[in-house]
Amino acid sequence: MLTIKDLQKVYNGTAVVQLPELLVNTGEAVGVVGNNGAGKTTLFRMLLDLVRPSKGQVHSKGTNVALSEDWKTYTGSYLDEGFLIDYLTVEEYFKFIADLNGLSQGDVLERLEPFHDLFNGEVLQQRKYIRDFSKGNQKKIGIAAALLSNPELLILDEPFANLDPSSQIRLKNLLKKLRQERQMTMLISSHDLNHVIEVCERIVILEKGQLVQDMQTTENTLQALEAYFTV
Amino acid sequence: MLQTLLAHQWKADFRSSVFQKSIVLNIILGLLILYFGSIFLVLGFKLDDILVKFFPNQNPIAVFNGALLYYFCIDLFFRFMIQEMPVLAIQPYLHLPVPRSKLVHYVLLKSIPSFLNLLPLLVFVPFMVSAVVPAFGLGVALLWLTALFACTLLNNYLLLYFKRQLSSKPLYTLAFGAVILAVMVLNYYDLLPLQTVSRAAFGAILEQPWLVAVPVVLLAAAYGINFKFLSNNTYPEELKVRKVTQASGSDFAFLNRFGEIGRLVELELKLIWRHKRPKSLLTISVLFLFYGMLFYRNDTYMDGYGILIFVGIMITGSSVFNYGQFLPGWQSAHFDALLTQRISPYQFYRAKYWLFVPVMVLTYLLALPYGLFGYKIILINTAALLYNIGVNVFVVFFFSVYNTERLDLSKGSAFNWQGVGISKFVMMMPMMVLPILIYLPFGLTGMPLVGLATIAGLGLLGVIFQRQLLHWTANHFMKHKYKLATGFRQSS
Repeated sequence: MLTIKDLQKVYNGTAVVQLPELLVNTGEAVGVVGNNGAGKTTLFRMLLDLVRPSKGQVHSKGTNVALSEDWKTYTGSYLDEGFLIDYLTVEEYFKFIADLNGLSQGDVLERLEPFHDLFNGEVLQQRKYIRDFSKGNQKKIGIAAALLSNPELLILDEPFANLDPSSQIRLKNLLKKLRQERQMTMLISSHDLNHVIEVCERIVILEKGQLVQDMQTTENTLQALEAYFTV
Repeated sequence: MLQTLLAHQWKADFRSSVFQKSIVLNIILGLLILYFGSIFLVLGFKLDDILVKFFPNQNPIAVFNGALLYYFCIDLFFRFMIQEMPVLAIQPYLHLPVPRSKLVHYVLLKSIPSFLNLLPLLVFVPFMVSAVVPAFGLGVALLWLTALFACTLLNNYLLLYFKRQLSSKPLYTLAFGAVILAVMVLNYYDLLPLQTVSRAAFGAILEQPWLVAVPVVLLAAAYGINFKFLSNNTYPEELKVRKVTQASGSDFAFLNRFGEIGRLVELELKLIWRHKRPKSLLTISVLFLFYGMLFYRNDTYMDGYGILIFVGIMITGSSVFNYGQFLPGWQSAHFDALLTQRISPYQFYRAKYWLFVPVMVLTYLLALPYGLFGYKIILINTAALLYNIGVNVFVVFFFSVYNTERLDLSKGSAFNWQGVGISKFVMMMPMMVLPILIYLPFGLTGMPLVGLATIAGLGLLGVIFQRQLLHWTANHFMKHKYKLATGFRQSS
């Protein structure tokens, strides 16, 4: 699905991302972990063509994301509040995304059905603008919008942060269900090691922009990760 | 798609909290627009009569055409000062299946309906109806108007392009400015008579209407350049959506000598220096220094005292009035942090006081050369300075607790109505009018100097009881701090 070749991003002389090669296969869920400043978000921004790489390319389904916009049709993503159009109401925003993907009102309702628990009655029909929601609810809105188009590839940055414990568990179950039912390819960064190894079958550790470990999830993964991050 | 984007733009404007919150301000703004709009409209219709009166032996259309190039040069300058870059707002769309070219078209088209582009039409259209149509017929007149509007938009896109280059390739922008300046200089020395060129160029369009193609093609080219540049640079970091600037401004080490107060003053100086809005406000305040030029050269004002007191108050105090009217909104983004730190309201306001006093003394010193117009100006400005330090600062402080609106410091201050409320207008009254009222009974009974002394004396009293007044300010603040903190937490 994704092929990263010789990717590099340099800010003020320091390489914040430097990946000689990284492959993500179709249907694979990859968890990206690493401390602050490891380059997770910059990497995701380059995957989404929001940051111009200093060197190298990202190929999605074989085409360079910086040269073609085809990837937009099958990629859903939510990195931060900048992805939301904050002066719209939630319904207006979902409708806008739905229109972009040629979905009817009925489709939207149907596709939001799995989010019913996650939204917890606090998101829909609130008659307020997205900017006035709490950070946690904004995140839920963003993730729902990213999944609205039923994407083949899902990219989420810290989906569990800012969510209350119940919401974290609900989101985790939702993501696992999407994996089982649709074999969705996922790239998820997280600081929550527990959640991320439950959702993802492959874990990639970044440190200072470099890939330091790449492992398949087994029952020992959590221990291995904890050992790695204990300094 | 473009329609959806424009609809979003409309919602963004209409739902911005500044617009929604203060209806009164919108009414005032609406009235201002109506007022200036009608002035321009009337000017447009009367223009050919006026031109005939001033240039009796010349064809008004030719005179009008002759002025056009000047106008477009001045227009460029104004645009450079105030035109905002319509950049953003595209960030939430970049990851969605919206073609990039659509977004760029949207950004570029969005810049057209601005008052800089539409206001001139209020003059152009009536002048066309009243002068050009009778002389050349409707068809040619419309083409002529098209040419003018194309030139206006050409300016619009030229400026967008060069202002955008300012950050990455400042030499481009500098060169462009140098060319315009060179044209002006050549014109001044009659080497390149702009008026004749302008007259010939726009006259030619009336004679040979197909020449309208020239400005239209130029406009298309400017649009194309912008389009190409933006298409290649739709990355948020390159559009300066999240601009990371190098930390600038060194520490003001000498302020450390003043302890707590010095540190707070230093903090505030950094705040001013590192944000766009307070910085541009500072520039405006410098211009106020020249306020005296309007009055001191006029003998009718120089004979009396009343107006000069007003001028003195404005000159010595305008920087503080300008900055102080938004107090403490400057700190709105980190207001909660200030409230939870070990800073008492008394210290908070004392630091403000000791920021303001040196600034006012400095402006007073800079304004001293006005004394060349007459020594009484120095007397008046001294009294005004004392009154500002002793009384008006506390008036500013008193009204500061009613500013509950959060300020976005990254926007420029010209035509920025965020945080402007009714309390601003109320506040101006006692500050400007009261000293004149105090002076008036003495002035009318022929004792102007006693009047001045009274104003100065009131100021001195304020300086003497400074500590008490600051305590009183702090108590006043305490009563309103929750309201302030709540207001500031509401981001716009």
